[in-house]
Amino acid sequence: MAVCSAYTTQSLNSTCSISTPAKTHLGFHQKQVVFYRRSSKRGGSGSSSGPCVITCSAGDSQTVVIGLAADSGCGKSTFMRRLTSVFGGAAEPPKGGNPDSNTLISDMTTVICLDDYHSLDRTGRKEKGVTALDPRANDFDLMYEQVKAIKSGVAVDKPIYNHVTGLLDPPELIKPPKILVIEGLHPMFDERVRDLLDFSIYLDISNEVKFAWKIQRDMAERGHSLESIKASIEARKPDFDAYIDPQKKYADAVIEVLPTQLIPDDNEGKVLRVRLIMKEGVKHFSPVYLFDEGSTVSWIPCGRKLTCSYPGIKFHYGPDTYFGNEVSILEMDGQFDRLDELIYVESHLSNISTKFYGEVTQQMLKHADFPGSNNGTGLFQTIVGLKIRDLYEQITSSKTAAPLEATKA
Amino acid sequence: MQVRAAPDSLSEKVEQSIKEAQEACSDDPASGECVAAWDEVEELSAAASHARDRLKDNDPLENYCKDNPETDECKTYDN
Repeated sequence: MAVCSAYTTQSLNSTCSISTPAKTHLGFHQKQVVFYRRSSKRGGSGSSSGPCVITCSAGDSQTVVIGLAADSGCGKSTFMRRLTSVFGGAAEPPKGGNPDSNTLISDMTTVICLDDYHSLDRTGRKEKGVTALDPRANDFDLMYEQVKAIKSGVAVDKPIYNHVTGLLDPPELIKPPKILVIEGLHPMFDERVRDLLDFSIYLDISNEVKFAWKIQRDMAERGHSLESIKASIEARKPDFDAYIDPQKKYADAVIEVLPTQLIPDDNEGKVLRVRLIMKEGVKHFSPVYLFDEGSTVSWIPCGRKLTCSYPGIKFHYGPDTYFGNEVSILEMDGQFDRLDELIYVESHLSNISTKFYGEVTQQMLKHADFPGSNNGTGLFQTIVGLKIRDLYEQITSSKTAAPLEATKA
Repeated sequence: MQVRAAPDSLSEKVEQSIKEAQEACSDDPASGECVAAWDEVEELSAAASHARDRLKDNDPLENYCKDNPETDECKTYDN
């Protein structure tokens, strides 16, 4: 979709380009630049000025790109559903397309699963003896080309990796949305893709919690046992540590999920200690804080004004360094039992980018059936969603301001 | 509440992949084949889990009301 506007300009250096995507079967795009200039030089009467220029730009080229690194989550993950919900509207797979598509589309956002950029399907990986975590199983060139194209307003034909059959299905058309979220194992692995991201998040689940969650997920499947679940995690660990884990130092926000410290020797993974690690100095992103920005605060909200049940809630906030970067860390250990605990906590947090008092609580309640709705995972995922909305609004308002400046000049 | 397993074909795939992984690893636990086999188990387990969730979501009334919220059966009166 192209928008064309005609200008009359005095400038001598006017160039014009009309972008029409020429697609190869792999979805690469080449812009065809057409130079068009009509100059009308009519004496010095002054009615007609210099060259007449037609400038076209594809779409409004304001796609904001968010990267989310997560293991075994693809568009259907709770984080994605919370994020798209902040912007309003339900996220659905593309209508009328491949029923096994991993893509989710809502009014404002499109979520792409990076598994779609596997260069080897399940059989191919088996033959070569590589996991999906290995960079050799992924086409980073295609990932970069397509994310770049979408970001600049050009639609792409993106492959589909079918998780049920393990095959690469025929591509689906992805039109540039206002917000593009790329979710998967390697959003920050390739430097070129990393540079396209306006904001990046890494979901860091500790080994103990991962084990507990996978037990809950897989024990219902016949064939699985504690040993097989453990073996699967152990076998994937070397590749995970080598290729996925190192991405967290690039993330603007890391959500770290650890076992609780409130219950000694808890191994159920139900009560969690969650840390939101926020990089300082990121454009359009102001970290959330508790009470006094930049100081160190330990806070137990339960007491005279608020009664909590066992094991209670404990907050911590403070500056720190993380892989050489200055960060602020907001930490919550424990569980919310009641609505008033949630609203009480919300009212004491600052820089949460809500549009009205109680918005975080409202969002959490809207999805009370989602996992993590009663602990830090849901809380911080919701807050990150609001920060992304804030970031999006800042970016789009600064972009609309710039052209206005240009026309004035 | 009984937790149902995923649709049979996926469940069978999961079961099969676990057996294959155990075989592949019996020779050499550090080999690429062994690691890739367990990765496949993980992928299929995740797919099975998503399929289970989709089964849970398949309430015919809910699905109808998602598309037709204004009909008599679907109207909600909040205030």
